[in-house]
Amino acid sequence: MNIWKISLQNIKSKPLYTFLSVCVLALSITLLLGIQQLKYSFKNQIETNLGKIDLVIGAKGSPLQLVLASVLHLDNPTGNISYTEAQNIIKNPRVKSAVPISYGDNYKGYRIVGTTETFLSIYNAELETGSNVEQSMEVVLGATVAKTLNLKVGDTFLSSHGLIENTVDIHNDELTIVGILKPTHKVIDRLIVTNLESIWDVHHHEVEDTSHADYHHHDHDEVAKEIEADKEITSLLVTFKSPRSLLTFPRKINESTNMLAALPRYELHKLYEYTSVGFQTITWIAYLILVMSGLTIFISLYKMVKERAFDLAILRTYGASNFQLIKMVLYEGLIIAFLAFVIAYLFVKIGLAIVLNFMVASNQQNLLVNLPYQELVYLGILVFFKVVLSVSLAIYPIIKMNISTILSHEK
Amino acid sequence: MLQSSNLTFQYKKTEHLFRFPNIDLKKQEHLVILGKSGIGKTTLLHLLAGILKPSTGTVSLNSQDITVLRESSLDRFRGKNIGLVFQKKHAIQTLNVLDNLKARLYFGKKKVNLNKMEALLAELDLLDFKTSKVQTLSEGQLQRLGIAIAVIHEPEIILADEPTSSLDDANCKMVLELLLKQAAKTQANLIVITHDHRIKSYFQNTIML
Repeated sequence: MNIWKISLQNIKSKPLYTFLSVCVLALSITLLLGIQQLKYSFKNQIETNLGKIDLVIGAKGSPLQLVLASVLHLDNPTGNISYTEAQNIIKNPRVKSAVPISYGDNYKGYRIVGTTETFLSIYNAELETGSNVEQSMEVVLGATVAKTLNLKVGDTFLSSHGLIENTVDIHNDELTIVGILKPTHKVIDRLIVTNLESIWDVHHHEVEDTSHADYHHHDHDEVAKEIEADKEITSLLVTFKSPRSLLTFPRKINESTNMLAALPRYELHKLYEYTSVGFQTITWIAYLILVMSGLTIFISLYKMVKERAFDLAILRTYGASNFQLIKMVLYEGLIIAFLAFVIAYLFVKIGLAIVLNFMVASNQQNLLVNLPYQELVYLGILVFFKVVLSVSLAIYPIIKMNISTILSHEK
Repeated sequence: MLQSSNLTFQYKKTEHLFRFPNIDLKKQEHLVILGKSGIGKTTLLHLLAGILKPSTGTVSLNSQDITVLRESSLDRFRGKNIGLVFQKKHAIQTLNVLDNLKARLYFGKKKVNLNKMEALLAELDLLDFKTSKVQTLSEGQLQRLGIAIAVIHEPEIILADEPTSSLDDANCKMVLELLLKQAAKTQANLIVITHDHRIKSYFQNTIML
């Protein structure tokens, strides 16, 4: 026998109040944990996908759209830019690395990105099987693509035009899988990576086919020069040697060229701040429910203290001290809080797994990231102090208890 | 064993001062305190148990003046040395019969001995109900459980408040004999306060309030 056991028996003897207290507290913890986990997953997703990219340069349009399309691969690109102009930027002494990317095709909804080998290093992606792209029409698959579509090295497929799966506008040139990447939990997992030539070749052949008649009237070298000058890419992912370049370089691009330079960190921070309003609202609602659950626990414990005054007085005659009676009430509160915390944690894990499973199906990327240990501890401490506050208010009758009066009046 | 001297008590917001006669009990001596309602019987019992602090006077048990003890020390002292039987048949509602005895030993800082507890319950005809919730017990069973709780920790003194006032003669005799038997077993003093004159003949010492 000990105080924990008596507290547990007390809780078991009032199942409805206990159930109510646990439910309300679990609801608030679920909301707080859930929102924290979503916020953290969202922020983490942005941070990890941003990697070392300092600047995105693309066609004029919305900077946020350019960043979403080029960094997170979630939106349509703003347009194309000249590869010749892009090369001038690549050669700029202030630029540490500049990775050109070009896309506009997909295979079963997964985007095909034409780029250089450096693209893989942005995401620290490594090959799991096969080799890197060396020739045109070769591709390397992200881990999610390979797994979901059950593709392996040596397989071939035909890409379709646009960024959404379709069976109408399919290209004639076969792409061959030469490698599969290890999972990175970044956007590259759901991309099909090839070289720039593959993208240009696929589209050039089609232009060739449609303008075949005109082709005979032109000199072959002239056409080749024209093709070289017409080469376009979607955007350029730039990393600077020094962060100081961030202050002047983007302005220079925006003012003196027909290209758009967007700061991904700034744009995504703006997006995060915008979406945070929703998160913040739910967080405040959750805190409100937490206060209400504190009240429910207080009422439950206070009711117990008042209704069981004679039991408590008798315990004092058994030799129990006031402090032991207070501990008994505190343990009841802590048991309720512990139950609520465990239930809420399971709810969040199961609930978010279901919700994000749906998001994975639609976004083809695993977004769920485990909530850091510190966040759980922080919430645990918050709930603990709330229980202590509820108990502190509920134990007032114990502190003021007059055993003699209670025992006399109960005759 | 138990001495009280010059005990007085005044409730707050009242002008009446209760004055109580001195008590001096040797080991295994028992006492019945008789008096009408409102004369201060329960107040005296609470003073002897250390539940109330007297306005003046002392209460000593085994040479320890309990009126000078701090609250926490008094709780410990009461838990170890005093057993209380109440008129209202009561035990901790959320615990079963055996757990009530365990709780009494736990708070009295006495070692739990299952055999001893079961022997006591068997003696009081409660062994078959050891895992029963107290709400399911009859009045008689509750009364016997109250006695078991009061003696399980082998106190130096058993204080009983009107233990027989609502009982018929047969049950009055049974309860008194139980209390005396348990007191004899643990070599404790038994003090009963009551307005029930039927029990006077069971005691060698009587105080009329």
